[in-house]
Amino acid sequence: MKKTPLALLLTLGLLNTPLSVFAATAPLDLVGPVSDYKIYVTEQLDELASHTQQFTDAVKKGDLATAQKLYAPTRVYYESIEPIAELFSDLDASIDSRVDDHEKGVKAEDFTGFHRIEYSLFSEKTTQGLDALADGLDKDVKDLQTRVAGLTFPPEKVVGGAAALLEEVAATKISGEEDRYSHTDLYDFQGNIDGAKKIVDLFRPQIEKQDKAFVAKVDKNFATVDKILAKYKTKDGGFETYDKVKDNDRKALVGPVNTLAEDLSTLRGKLGLN
Amino acid sequence: MSKPTSPQASPPRALRWAVAGSVVVMIAAGGLFYYASKMAAAKRQHNRDEVVVNIHDHSCEPNALTVPAGRASFRIVNRSDRAVEWEILDGVLVIEERENIAPGLSQVINANLQPGDYAITCGLLSNPRGTLHVTPTAASDAAAKAKPSMVAFVGPLSEFRVYLASQGSALIKAVTALNQAIASGDLAQAQALYLPARAAYQRLAPAAQRLGELDNGINARADYFEKREQDPGFVGFHRLEYALFQQRNLEGLAPVAQRLLDDVTSLKQQLLAQSLPPEQLVSIVVRNLNTLADVRAASGEEERYSHSDLNGFAANQQTAHKVVDLLRPLLSKSAAELLPKIDRALADFDTTLNGFKVKDGYASYDTVNGEQRKQIADKAQALADALDAIDPALGLSGL
Repeated sequence: MKKTPLALLLTLGLLNTPLSVFAATAPLDLVGPVSDYKIYVTEQLDELASHTQQFTDAVKKGDLATAQKLYAPTRVYYESIEPIAELFSDLDASIDSRVDDHEKGVKAEDFTGFHRIEYSLFSEKTTQGLDALADGLDKDVKDLQTRVAGLTFPPEKVVGGAAALLEEVAATKISGEEDRYSHTDLYDFQGNIDGAKKIVDLFRPQIEKQDKAFVAKVDKNFATVDKILAKYKTKDGGFETYDKVKDNDRKALVGPVNTLAEDLSTLRGKLGLN
Repeated sequence: MSKPTSPQASPPRALRWAVAGSVVVMIAAGGLFYYASKMAAAKRQHNRDEVVVNIHDHSCEPNALTVPAGRASFRIVNRSDRAVEWEILDGVLVIEERENIAPGLSQVINANLQPGDYAITCGLLSNPRGTLHVTPTAASDAAAKAKPSMVAFVGPLSEFRVYLASQGSALIKAVTALNQAIASGDLAQAQALYLPARAAYQRLAPAAQRLGELDNGINARADYFEKREQDPGFVGFHRLEYALFQQRNLEGLAPVAQRLLDDVTSLKQQLLAQSLPPEQLVSIVVRNLNTLADVRAASGEEERYSHSDLNGFAANQQTAHKVVDLLRPLLSKSAAELLPKIDRALADFDTTLNGFKVKDGYASYDTVNGEQRKQIADKAQALADALDAIDPALGLSGL
């Protein structure tokens, strides 16, 4: 049978199409999860803003005990949405930079935000001289709210955020360097993990369509990490300080965290966003 | 005494040989490792796209980079003594980054870069920013002219869904407040709260009109019913408007207000459950503006009892602004020539509407004369026409 040139072209075109195209996630299927993620981030930011207000009020009132108590439960909202928050480099630096980022160390003029306040509250054990830093933190968090509201979330940053959060855990949480003065790293740890799990949950139907076994493996590793973290939960819903975490538990966290970071880094590809 | 020493001397000699042997093997292995890593490093250096950046204590080297558009790999070598970060910034926004690069180690950052100028965060925050100049290529020029892919619409459509969610919540909140005023028999308060509730609805109207039956329950005018205002089927906003502004009587109105609250609650749910195809993002706004230009502006029939039409037109216009803002990045890339016309049409309609602003809102529509109404219709039509060019320009028409 003689083929028309058009039919021939179509056949050739089909043969040339990589198989993956047929299995790929339709881009428009990502609209629901990406927008739900923005709604989640917005809610977390509302919480961050109101908790930061209470935290900085305590700092300015000179109530050291309350300020110390509120430090970690406030930060956790920042940690859970870090993939979006850290897109704004200037605010990420002024809200969440660590002393290592500053040449002149703790006394650097531009060392501001949570960790600078943490240093005074937990290392110097004082609220003295923190008024301007407290006001600055409040203002920066509100600024972050406004900017996130105006940001169209890039889908690849949303999906890539799950791996970014786990890399954050691997790089700074297991070593205990994030909250080196307060040793409240486990709050941040849980915040990062919860933020990553949220992303996986939102895209679960799309990922499952691609690779069911992958989702099961990721769930299992999340459960392992959660189980170890749960051992250190305190009665008030918080966490023990990081120095209480036993060596074998620190070691036991490394495997699942690294595997999660590695696995989640393939999400973008799985959802056709590379 | 020498006899016992001799057998003892023998093992140390063997041990010495063994140690010497293992040292030789170690040196050889070390040499091989050195050679292999040199080769690997050389190979990396030759990797066509890889740009090596060294972070020193106070600066990066090189600090000014130029690469062609497209995929680029940067190998960041940390030669300072602390863990540092390296970021590519577009304004304050991070395009790609690597945090916590340990001292003495290197990491590769892959980025897909559009032509333009970027800044680099280079180690310590006090270090001078580096520069990254990305030059256009034949491929990037071609890509710039190409129609956007479907993936490019995920961002704008997601953001529009977020807008529907937040405006949906605002509508529920406003109708709840209106409901309470009606329940408590406060006519003046109910009249005042009708306006923000309508504005919230009118921001959603372009999308709500896709949900025919539900939208009728919320927004139908008396004309659609056999017995007009007296028809038992006449419910929703305009039934409330009729009671609040024409009858000035709240009697028996509570069930109507409750039904409206139920309906707007399911409106929000259904708007979020529906998926909006990309070509409809603009076309629903165009349709909404067309009804404004063709009917609503001239007749003032929409808010015939309260004459609050301008309050609604301004809310429609806010959604038109929102949609243009969401598509602006795509338009600047693929159909930049349309933007000046669209922006002018938006600004013209803004100016017209602003001309009717009074102290805390807009002029009552019964004070707006025929000539002025025609001007409102014309500006809305011009905006609808300008927006109508978007879908074909983005390759979305006929889908």
